[in-house]
Amino acid sequence: MAARRRTSSVTNSENPPPAITENRPTTVSSPEDFRLAPPKLSVIFVISSLLCSLYLYLLCFHYNVDDELKRPILINAGLSLVGFFVTLKLIPVAARYVLRRNMFGFDINKRGTPQGEVKVPESLGIVVGIVFLIVAIIFQFFNFTEDSLWLVEYNAALASICFMILLGFVDDVLDVPWRVKLLLPSFATLPLLMAYAGHTTIVIPKPLVSYVGLEILDLGRIYKLYMALLAVFCTNSINIHAGLNGLEIGQTVVIAAAILIHNVMQIGASVDSEIRQAHAFSIYLTQPLMATSLAMLAFNWYPSAVFVGDTYTVFAGMTMAVVGILGHFSETLLIFFLPQVLNFLLSLPQLAGIVKCPRHRLPKFDPATGLLTGTKDGTLVNVYLRIFGRKSEKSLCIHLLVFQALACAFCFLLRHFLAGWYK
Amino acid sequence: MARRKRPSRTSKPDPPSEPISEQNTTRNTPDDVFHLSPPKLGTIFVISTLLCSLHLYLLCFHYNVETELRSSILINAGLSFVGFFVTLKMIPVAARYVLRRNMFGFDINKRGTPQGEIKVPESLGIVVGVVFLIVAIIFQYFNFTEDSNWLVEYNAALASICFMILLGFVDDVLDVPWRVKLALPSFATLPLLMAYAGHTTIVIPKPLVGYVGLEVLDLGRIYKLYMGLLAVFCTNSINIHAGLNGLEIGQTVVTAAAILIHNVMQIGSSTDPEYHQAHAFSIYLTQPLMATSLALLAFNWYPSSVFVGDTYTVFAGMTMAVVGILGHFSETLLIFFVPQILNFVLSVPQLVGIVKCPRHRLPRFDPATGLLTGTKDGTLVNVYLRLFGPKSEKSLCIHLLVFQALACAFCFVLRYFLAGWYK
Repeated sequence: MAARRRTSSVTNSENPPPAITENRPTTVSSPEDFRLAPPKLSVIFVISSLLCSLYLYLLCFHYNVDDELKRPILINAGLSLVGFFVTLKLIPVAARYVLRRNMFGFDINKRGTPQGEVKVPESLGIVVGIVFLIVAIIFQFFNFTEDSLWLVEYNAALASICFMILLGFVDDVLDVPWRVKLLLPSFATLPLLMAYAGHTTIVIPKPLVSYVGLEILDLGRIYKLYMALLAVFCTNSINIHAGLNGLEIGQTVVIAAAILIHNVMQIGASVDSEIRQAHAFSIYLTQPLMATSLAMLAFNWYPSAVFVGDTYTVFAGMTMAVVGILGHFSETLLIFFLPQVLNFLLSLPQLAGIVKCPRHRLPKFDPATGLLTGTKDGTLVNVYLRIFGRKSEKSLCIHLLVFQALACAFCFLLRHFLAGWYK
Repeated sequence: MARRKRPSRTSKPDPPSEPISEQNTTRNTPDDVFHLSPPKLGTIFVISTLLCSLHLYLLCFHYNVETELRSSILINAGLSFVGFFVTLKMIPVAARYVLRRNMFGFDINKRGTPQGEIKVPESLGIVVGVVFLIVAIIFQYFNFTEDSNWLVEYNAALASICFMILLGFVDDVLDVPWRVKLALPSFATLPLLMAYAGHTTIVIPKPLVGYVGLEVLDLGRIYKLYMGLLAVFCTNSINIHAGLNGLEIGQTVVTAAAILIHNVMQIGSSTDPEYHQAHAFSIYLTQPLMATSLALLAFNWYPSSVFVGDTYTVFAGMTMAVVGILGHFSETLLIFFVPQILNFVLSVPQLVGIVKCPRHRLPRFDPATGLLTGTKDGTLVNVYLRLFGPKSEKSLCIHLLVFQALACAFCFVLRYFLAGWYK
C-alpha cells in the first residue's frame, strides 16, 4: 500500500494522475538541475545517540563479552559505519537516476502547500538494500570461523534478503498486484527454512503445563510454517504502518536498536556458546541494517526529500524476520512488533474487504493549519489521531516512534518479570 | 550496451523520443488492448530437441549413472520443465506491466519497415531470473543430501546469482554508468569465492613441465582472483555479443547444452564421488537456466516480440560462471566461450577508446533488401558479415549460433585429443 500517489500507474485513486503528468516534461531537462535537499545530519545524530548508546555501553563495558566474539562484532560495526557514509553519498546520485526514469511521487500529506508540488524520488530503498548486501558479503571475509553451519545460515540469509530486495524493487517498478505481493515472499523465505537447523520445539509456559500435559512441545513442520508466516508478516506489516515522513525507517531503526540490545543482553547473560553464536549472528545483520537505514533517514526524515518505496519496507521486514528466526528469538521479535501487530489487526476489516478500503488510508491534511486529522480508516496512525487529537506530521511521527520504543521496553520488562515464572 | 533505443533517456543523439513517450506516460487504455505475438513454439521445439537430446541420451542410456544421482538430476529436470511452462505463461503478463512503465525499445534492425515502429517490451529477463530462482530454491528440498558443504555452495550460488539479477534489473531501470556496471559484479561474486572450498591448484600441461619445473602449481589467492575475473568476464561478454533477435538467449542455450553434455560425460567416465557431486551441482543449476531461457526464446526468436534486457545477459553469464567455478571446470567453460572471447578481443580497441566507439555497434540495415551489412565496428557480428557477405538478421543469427556450437564441439575434440598428452 503505497502512501504516495504514483503518477504513471493506472490507479483508482480520487485524483486522476494523468492530468498532472501530461503537463510536466517526462524527462528532467538535465540531471544537474536537480538538487536534493541536504541530509538532516543533526537529527540523525540525535536519533543514533538515543538508539545506539545503550547498546554500545552494554557491549563494551557492562558485559564481559569474550574477546573472540567482541572483535567480529566491532569489525562488523566498523563496516556498518562505512556503509552509513557510502549510503549517505549514494542517495543523491541515485535520486537523480530514479527521477530520470519517472519514479517519483507527490507527498499527499502536503497537498495544498507548495511542498505538495515537489516531485519526490521514490524507491531509494534500493540503495540501502545494495549497500547492506555489499557490507554483509564483505563481512564474511572478516569472520574467521570454520563453522560450516554458520556459513550455510549466513548464505541462506543473504539469498533470502537479496531475493526480497529484488521482489521489492520489481514491485516498485512494475506495481505488482497485491495477491502476488503476498505470495512471492513465501518463496523468499524458503532458503531460510532449509538452512534452519535448530530445534523446532517450543517451551510451554509454566502456568499452562498442567493443561497441555507437556513441558516441551515439538512442533516440527508446523514450526517451519510459523517461521514462514512470521517472515511474510514482518515483510508486509511495516509496509502498511506507513504514510508519514520518516515513519517506515523510524520504526525499523527503533526495533533494530531493541534487537541489538536484546542480543547483547543474551550474549552477556549466557554461557552456552550456541546461544551466543546465534545472537552474534543477529548482530552481524542488524548493525548494517541500522547503519544504512539511518543514512537514508537523514534524507527521509520530515520533510522527506526521498521516499523509501516498497523496496525498503520489504527489505527491512525480511531482514528482521531473518535475524529473529536464525537467532532463535522470534517470539521476542513479535513482541517488539506489537505496534505493527496492532496496526494489522486494526486494518483487517478493510484488508479483508468487509469495510470499504480506499487506495490510501492516510489521515486528512489541512493546509491551513498544517495539522493531520484522523479518518475512520483502521490504521494505528488514524486511531492515534482520533484518541489524542490533531497533530502535525512531524510530531505525530515522533509520537508513534516513542510508542514503538515503549512497546520494545515493555517487552524487556515482560521478559524480566516472567523470567522465572514463565520458563 | 543496450541494443534498443530507450525512449526516455536524455543522452541519446537519436531522433527525439520524448514526444512518443509523453503520449504513453499513462495507459488509460485497458490492458487487454496490448497483445503479445504468440510464442514460436515450433522453433523452440526444434532447438530444444537439437540441444537436449544428446544430453538426455547420455544421461539415461549411454552412461551407467548411479540411481540416486540420476533421480536427483531427473527431479531437477522435471522442475525445470515446470519452470519452462511457468515462464511461458508469465512473459505476456509481465510484458503488459513493463510496457505500462515505459520500459520498451524499438528494434533498430528493422528501422524503416513497419516492424520498426512497434514498441517492444524490454527487460523480460526479470521473469526468467525470478522463475529460475524459485525453481533453484524449491529444488533444495528435493536434494536429500546432508552434506553441509553442498548447502554452503548452493546457497552462495543462489546469493550470487540473485544479487546479479538485482543489479541487472537496476541497470535496466536506472541505466547505470558502465564503470559501475564493471565494478558491481565483482561484489556479486564474493559469496561464491568465499564458499569455494576446492583446490586452488592448476595442473601444468605436460609439455610445459620442463620449463615450469613443477607438475602442479598452487595459485592460492591468485586462483580466487582468476575466478572473480572469470565471473566479471562471463557476465559482460554475453552483453556485448548481442544485437540480433535471439542472439543473446541463443548463445546461452547452446553453451548451456555443451555444459550439460560435458557434465554428464564427466560423471559417466569418473569414479570419484566428489567429482560426481561437482558436476551434478552444475547440472542442477544449468537445467533450470536452459528451460527458462528456452521459454523466453519462444518470444525473443526472430522477429522478437520481447527484448531480454541486461537483466537476462548478466544473469545468464553469472549462472554459467558459477557452475563453471563450483563445478571445477572453468577452463573448459572458457573454451566454450571462444566466440565471446573473440568478440571481446575484437571490441577492445573501441571499448578502451583507441578507436571511436558509437552508442550502438550494430550492422547497417537496408529496409529495401532486408539484409544486414557489416560496418567497421569491432564485433563478431560485423566481422562475420564482412567475411561472408550481407545476410538477413535471422540467417545471420543462425550462422552465429552454429559457430557457437562448433566452438563447443571443438572444445570436446580438443579435450579428447589432449587427454593423455595434456594432463
